[in-house]
Amino acid sequence: MTKIDFTFDETDRQIVGELRANGRATNQQIAERLGLTATTVSSRIKRMEDADQLRVVAVSDFAAHGFEVLIQLAIEVDNRPASQVAQELAAFDEVFAIHLVTGRYDIDALVVLHDFSEISSFMLDRLSSVSGIRSITPSIAVDIPRYQFEVAPIEART
Amino acid sequence: MKAAIQLDDLDRQLIELLAKDARVSNRRIATELGVTEGTVRGRIKRLQQDGLISFTAITGLQMARKSQLAFIRVQAEVEHTREIARKISELPPVNAVLVSMGSFNIIAMTLFEELDELVEIASDQILSIPGVHHVETSIAVKTMKYNARIARITEARITEDD
Repeated sequence: MTKIDFTFDETDRQIVGELRANGRATNQQIAERLGLTATTVSSRIKRMEDADQLRVVAVSDFAAHGFEVLIQLAIEVDNRPASQVAQELAAFDEVFAIHLVTGRYDIDALVVLHDFSEISSFMLDRLSSVSGIRSITPSIAVDIPRYQFEVAPIEART
Repeated sequence: MKAAIQLDDLDRQLIELLAKDARVSNRRIATELGVTEGTVRGRIKRLQQDGLISFTAITGLQMARKSQLAFIRVQAEVEHTREIARKISELPPVNAVLVSMGSFNIIAMTLFEELDELVEIASDQILSIPGVHHVETSIAVKTMKYNARIARITEARITEDD
């Protein structure tokens, strides 16, 4: 975390609000709605992007990638640092989110699979290759009434 | 769950490009992918209409008013699971709700800043919904991986908290 001095003002927040509602709105459209110039909008967006604090992106649905199965795994770790276990699990493509957590379990992971037939290979080939896992409590999602995250760690552009 | 939809290579290339930067113009996408602007426009429109992509702004943790993630596992009466899950998903601070098979039948995720806010959501708001028997909270202390570009696209809900 090196950019601790970066601050956002009300104009930045208003621009972000417009982009949240429609990420493809043109600078001109945003400028008109907020009473700014298109140049200001453009430079504000660039400043936030350059500071790695904003990305305007297409979020795609699990279905667009053919993922029909979402499983949440609550994992207990034994005899090994939880961060090491999580690091190893994070390397699997199927794991799209993984966090170290407080409470009864040590790691919380979200896993996406194309269909149920992939569960056995994921469990037997992937998870069983990672040492230090004491127990896995899986919850298979049967419905997702809400899923909306607009805050995330942002990786630097390469 | 939504049924998987057949997408072709062009759709996938479009999604990949727009996942990096949604503000690139149709013209530039058309040039890059070697198709016409009209094709790009039409494909984007169709992907949006099918609920397969949506364009939004993702802000970093520094800009966020709420940057802590918590998982709230809920044991709810099985016969009312759907209704209880809907009620939880309508609570403004809740970002995600999964109805699941497991020892807990609903899993909610929420962003918060102060511990008080989490207690309010989990112990006051969710636990007081009729049919909710038990909640268990765990706080994410370190994110090892998070891909915000893949999600379940539900109807838009504009949140005030960035």
